[in-house]
Amino acid sequence: MSHGHAVETNGAHGGPALPHSHRKQYIILGVVLSLVTFIELGIPLVKGVPELWTAAKEVWAPLLIVLSIFKFGAVVGDFMHLRSDLTLYKILFISPLFLAMFSFFAIGSLSVVHYAPFGKGYAITAQDLADGYVPPTVGGGADAPWADDKFEAAFVDAQKAGFAKGKETFAASCVSCHRADGGGMPGLGVNLTDDCYKHGGKVAALYTTIAKGVSGTAMPAWQSSMDSEKLRQVAYYVHSLKGMNVAGGKACEGAKE
Amino acid sequence: MSAHAENLTHDDAHGHESHGALSENNFLGLPNIKLAMWAFLGSECMFFGSLIGTYFFYHGNSLGGPLPKDVFSIGITSISTFLLLMSSLTMALAVDAMKQQKPLTARTFILITAALGACFVGFQVVEFHEFYTEKHLVFAGANASLFGSTFYTMTGFHGTHVTVGVIWLLIMSVLITKKKLVPGKEAVNVEVMGLYWHFVDIVWIVIFTFVYLLEFLK
Repeated sequence: MSHGHAVETNGAHGGPALPHSHRKQYIILGVVLSLVTFIELGIPLVKGVPELWTAAKEVWAPLLIVLSIFKFGAVVGDFMHLRSDLTLYKILFISPLFLAMFSFFAIGSLSVVHYAPFGKGYAITAQDLADGYVPPTVGGGADAPWADDKFEAAFVDAQKAGFAKGKETFAASCVSCHRADGGGMPGLGVNLTDDCYKHGGKVAALYTTIAKGVSGTAMPAWQSSMDSEKLRQVAYYVHSLKGMNVAGGKACEGAKE
Repeated sequence: MSAHAENLTHDDAHGHESHGALSENNFLGLPNIKLAMWAFLGSECMFFGSLIGTYFFYHGNSLGGPLPKDVFSIGITSISTFLLLMSSLTMALAVDAMKQQKPLTARTFILITAALGACFVGFQVVEFHEFYTEKHLVFAGANASLFGSTFYTMTGFHGTHVTVGVIWLLIMSVLITKKKLVPGKEAVNVEVMGLYWHFVDIVWIVIFTFVYLLEFLK
């Protein structure tokens, strides 16, 4: 320890007085941040207590976000002491932070408009379906600056081919319960042409339902006889049926989407 | 032997000068290295902002493979989150000790910080291995899903940042041991390393809340 002491003395330049130590504040902040983390971890557990969960259903997710913003601010403000540091550093850090948040939301809004094939806002008409193809509305539609891209064309071709195969598979494996037009049968398959879904209507959710089946119903787990490619094609096809509301279809089951 | 030691001390003095260049003040009267670090961290906000944004852009749109709920285990992630949070505390204490002209105390805290960071990376390796081998969450190729690709890219880049931080911390502890890094003007080098480390922690605060915890509320 004496050696250590020597080094510490060596290290001292003996110039200006030492700055004030923040050790105590850091430790207190560390304890507070730990407590906040424990509270955060407790929030998902509230789901196990239905009365408490439903009592303030809209509160839990925003509470989590507020707590994380508090932690973020505490670490940046106090551990990185940006709060009491120069304005220049604040500008350097905080302006890109806002820019990042802006691009985050910009990307989010793009996804609805331009990335239709992956399940958001994607709808084709009954006539399209009768023709057996998907119109090239993907990737921003005919008005998009890249509408004539080779990539776009190849993408649409691949989609058309997959869509046709999905229709074939549907005709071979699904119509016995869901009817040829997807309208459903009493006591068997649900109506796939309304906008109600018992296990989710996004392509991904449909994929999972088709692959794993629904226990306690007539819906088998198709993953035992179809590969992921085939499952995906059927999921897309079933997704395309949404909102067609064929005549004589079964009544709405599950949640509206 | 003593002559050799003297030589070392002499070299040290030169070493300090070359080190000093980074911690030297620029025309604004600010340490170059600190100004550069804040600018770098600003760009890192954009970097991680787009990675996290991409994750949510594709969220719920995977066509196959396991879903987040199938793979996440809140236990292991909570432990690693806690470790990283505590490493931020020890890092702050290290910076404080360096400013208080206590390099050995600073070194101890730096080593604790490095150990906590290494544990975090270790947990991530275990997590990735479990996701890949047992839960079949694939990063790329025919069986990849959007969830797999975006999740591994986002958390993988974060883990890489932690790994770089651990290496940096170890280098700093060696420099302090060899007296190549002494308190005073050069304390800013430790402070800047602290800025980087805390930033890596806040990225995880965001990922932990938005990617992991909110998933369990659905």
